[in-house]
Amino acid sequence: MTVSSPESTRSDSLDLTEPAQRAPSKRGTISSWLYLVPALVVFAVFMFYPLGRSFVLSFQGNDIMGRPAGFVGVSHYARLIQDPSFHRVLWNTFAFVLLTVIPVVALSLFLSLLLHQRLRGIQFFRTAFASPFAFSVATASVIFAVMFNQATGVLNGILGVFGIDRVGWLTDPSVALISIALTTVWMQIGYNLLVLSSGLGSVPDDLIEAARLDGAGGWRLQRNILIPLLTPQLFFLIVTGTIHSLQSFGQIHILTRGGPQNSTTTLVYSIYEQAFAYSNSNFGYASAQAVVLLFVVILITLAQFGVLERKVFYR
Amino acid sequence: MTPRGQRRITARAVGGAVVALGLLLSGCSGGGGGDDTKAPDKDVIAKSDAVVNVDFWHSMDGTNGETLNKLVDDFNSKNDKIVIKPVFQGNYDDAITKYKAAVQSNSTPSMVQIYDIGSQFMIDSKTVAPIQAFIDRDEFDVSDIQPNIAGYYVVNDKMWSMPFNTSMPVLYYNKTLFEKAGLDPETPPLTLKDVGAAAEKLSKKNGGPAEFGFNAAIYGWFVEQEIASNGDLYCSPDNGRGADRATEFTFDNEGAVEFASWWADMVKSGVAGNTGRDTGDAQSAFKSGTIGISLESTGALGGMQAAAESQGFELGVGYFPRVEENDFGPIIGGASLYITGEGHTDAEQEAAWQFIQFVAEPANQAIWHTGTGYFPISKAALEDPVDVKWREEFPQFDVAIQQLEDTKLSTPTQGCAAGVMPQARQAVEGALEAIVQGGDAQTELTKAAEGLQMQLDDYNDSVGS
Amino acid sequence: MSSAVNAPGKALPSTSTPTKRPRPKPTGSRIASYLVLLFFLVLIGFPVYFGFVGSVMGPGDINAYPASLWPLDGFKWQNYTDALNTIPLIRQWGNSVTMSLIITVGQVFTSMLAAFALVFLPMKWRTFWFALLLATMMVPVEAIIIPNYLFMSDFGLINSMPALTLPFLAHGFGIFLLRQAFMSFPRELYEAARIDGCSNFGFLTRILLPLSRPTLAALGIWTFLMAWNMYFWPLLVTQTPQMQTIQIGITQLQSADNFNAGLVMAGTVLAIVPTLLLLIFGQRFIVRGLTGGSLK
Repeated sequence: MTVSSPESTRSDSLDLTEPAQRAPSKRGTISSWLYLVPALVVFAVFMFYPLGRSFVLSFQGNDIMGRPAGFVGVSHYARLIQDPSFHRVLWNTFAFVLLTVIPVVALSLFLSLLLHQRLRGIQFFRTAFASPFAFSVATASVIFAVMFNQATGVLNGILGVFGIDRVGWLTDPSVALISIALTTVWMQIGYNLLVLSSGLGSVPDDLIEAARLDGAGGWRLQRNILIPLLTPQLFFLIVTGTIHSLQSFGQIHILTRGGPQNSTTTLVYSIYEQAFAYSNSNFGYASAQAVVLLFVVILITLAQFGVLERKVFYR
Repeated sequence: MTPRGQRRITARAVGGAVVALGLLLSGCSGGGGGDDTKAPDKDVIAKSDAVVNVDFWHSMDGTNGETLNKLVDDFNSKNDKIVIKPVFQGNYDDAITKYKAAVQSNSTPSMVQIYDIGSQFMIDSKTVAPIQAFIDRDEFDVSDIQPNIAGYYVVNDKMWSMPFNTSMPVLYYNKTLFEKAGLDPETPPLTLKDVGAAAEKLSKKNGGPAEFGFNAAIYGWFVEQEIASNGDLYCSPDNGRGADRATEFTFDNEGAVEFASWWADMVKSGVAGNTGRDTGDAQSAFKSGTIGISLESTGALGGMQAAAESQGFELGVGYFPRVEENDFGPIIGGASLYITGEGHTDAEQEAAWQFIQFVAEPANQAIWHTGTGYFPISKAALEDPVDVKWREEFPQFDVAIQQLEDTKLSTPTQGCAAGVMPQARQAVEGALEAIVQGGDAQTELTKAAEGLQMQLDDYNDSVGS
Repeated sequence: MSSAVNAPGKALPSTSTPTKRPRPKPTGSRIASYLVLLFFLVLIGFPVYFGFVGSVMGPGDINAYPASLWPLDGFKWQNYTDALNTIPLIRQWGNSVTMSLIITVGQVFTSMLAAFALVFLPMKWRTFWFALLLATMMVPVEAIIIPNYLFMSDFGLINSMPALTLPFLAHGFGIFLLRQAFMSFPRELYEAARIDGCSNFGFLTRILLPLSRPTLAALGIWTFLMAWNMYFWPLLVTQTPQMQTIQIGITQLQSADNFNAGLVMAGTVLAIVPTLLLLIFGQRFIVRGLTGGSLK
């Protein structure tokens, strides 16, 4: 496994001051900015402008064609606050994040430690466990959709062998979100394992030897040495996993379309539904939800940096 | 702007649309008079020097798309001044979304295929040149068009689009399992009660041969069908078919409640499976040969038949079940062809109309029918030798055609024309899901109908009146 | 075999088993390790296995109850030809490759220019520009997907390669990653090159980029995979099967009028094989790319 350079782990910090100290900044020239132009043009057209347009749209109504039709003030936002189905959407979103991020990080940590041993054929297991990484959201969801079929899917078929009753994986409102989370955990486990394994691979052998000489072995070694050394990776996985989870769309679109009874309608899916599904074209109301999404993601990102980073052990 | 559908003030009694349809079919101008949309001059293409290009957006893929392209090629080779350019635009939902975008950017096609429940929206889009104007101008003989099919596309006495691909839901059943369960495989159950009884006998739960006696997709379309089959209205007034637009959903009526509770009871007792909304999942289950009875579109017949052969069971097809025997029947589903008026030259509109007439010809309908499994809209097509031979091969399809012919055209079987039909279907599916999970049928359906009120009001407000 | 070793289901790290010392261990604990590994192999590997086996199953096997885990009715290889006949999978495959390559090249290009300027060139408000570019990483694409869709629609770009690629030609992540890499080079290198008459652009392309190859590879792989796996945006902006990417294409098999699960699996396998081969034979390479890409 690759040993990545130690300083690579420092970069999670949002240190904005560093570059200014490195280069003299007295001669600001236009030619320097020209190098920024290609990126800035893309951002201007496809990020800054749309951000503004999202805000504007969120205060507008729509005609049946989806064309903006007059300003409606904050009525979309008022509707968001009052609408119980939107509260449900927020709850689903929150629950989905918890149901995916915690299991996937915990499970991959466990598995990565398990795979970090000298055993014959361990490379096979490493590859096999990472194999979900080769699956995209669409391919994984399509396979799970077939497996989840309530009447004839293979999962209920296996349960049937043990005499267990069928589970309405995607049709029971109390189970559907868990099933989607399960699919998501499966999809992400490969990636999480790859990140953690490479983190473990970069732990210097002499450090472990030293610890062992000090009498640390087994799970004490893991708790006191390995896991602290993995905190940058874990922190990274939690942050990116949370945001990734908030943005989940494909698995919901393919597996449940937000149902049954809206039990799997998350914020992103709700935006899709309002704007693009069922001939809706409610771009205004959907944009208000998009603004909410924007703030939720930014807040969570900042909060995670603030809270979690203090616990991260940087070498 | 005043929508055309609102211009006439005459209030009509329930069934008015049916009377009007009678007029329409006899070739009279059933409500076309006094309209602002005139069909172009008939010789507009002859007068034009250039070749007329007609962009045609559709949602037919796979073998359906191939059959369509075949018809288009045939038409193009016979008309040297018209070129129809078919462009596949994704599924029905995609196509209507795309059409909306095209309206905004003034890039609509000359002709577009839109699904059944998009009908009222298309009328309200004010971009459509109603077929009625062309029918009136040419005194086009519509008597060959199957009245139940034509009926769906008539709103306020006016035919807006030409029916194209048409299907209906039927009851599919596994004859082999029927036999094993001691049921008569040649007599499919018709009423909900009979279907329920058969499902119970079939299901493993009660010692029967099937994993589930019954399993169908949670599909709002079926509820629409059940309401029509019971002779009830889905929305009011008059299913939105009269002079006034629909202002209220009434799908929480007795028949629908009974249907939903019937379904839910079967699921709850383990007699029926619940594979959710996805029709593919429900099909997949039935095709495995472990389900006794299912509901599905006639469009799935070919695949069902093939699966039955490979799984070694015999496929049966029956009428869509209803609360009690009656003259009503399901609504047709599918899509129709619209000529886009706004932003298109007279020549383009005329060319589109020429193509629409061509497709409606019996011989071409026979090609369409046998190539896709969709109903022929032409009655004469059924006598075409190609068609006769094909139906000998797929005798099950005769059941579907009988069901269509046995259905008495009426306001209920025309189906609801409302701007938010796609959303309504979706809300009904939500209610059905809640009901099979133990919710009260009446409560959930009423809640769904009430929940749609705001959207319906908003829609009606925004199209003005 | 000690019972403490054999505690598979426990996922929490603090209670995980004391089995992973990177050195040979007693036979008992090794067997326990294998058992735990096998347990998870079944759990994680099953969907992969079923995807492959299901792709050659007929409807009877794939829907069998109780489950059939092997195509007992015989191998239905025609699922593959049927899948290829139902949708233009090869074409969609090509679309995915083209789209991902354009996005990758575009992102590497815009990122290297911006990162170079931020690190080496004199600039006023450097901190501001950097913060601005970095902040773009916090904006979820879903929050701006409606205006971007409307933009494509306004300009008639729906269902085109520009619609698929344009919004992704720059990304804060790439700039951030390359900036970190460039910062590890001593400033003297730049100054020496300038004194030798090397232009800014020359320094970037002839000296800096060759030295940053590992990071560029990491960025390239990362960007390519992200683009390859995109679902929401291609779903919105493509309409015809000829223009759809493979990710959207395989879901069309799922919604076909005549649904056949085996066909869906076959399409999925066709979509998965290349990435899976890459993972099996190039795991080392991917790991380097990802961790370089993820933890910098």
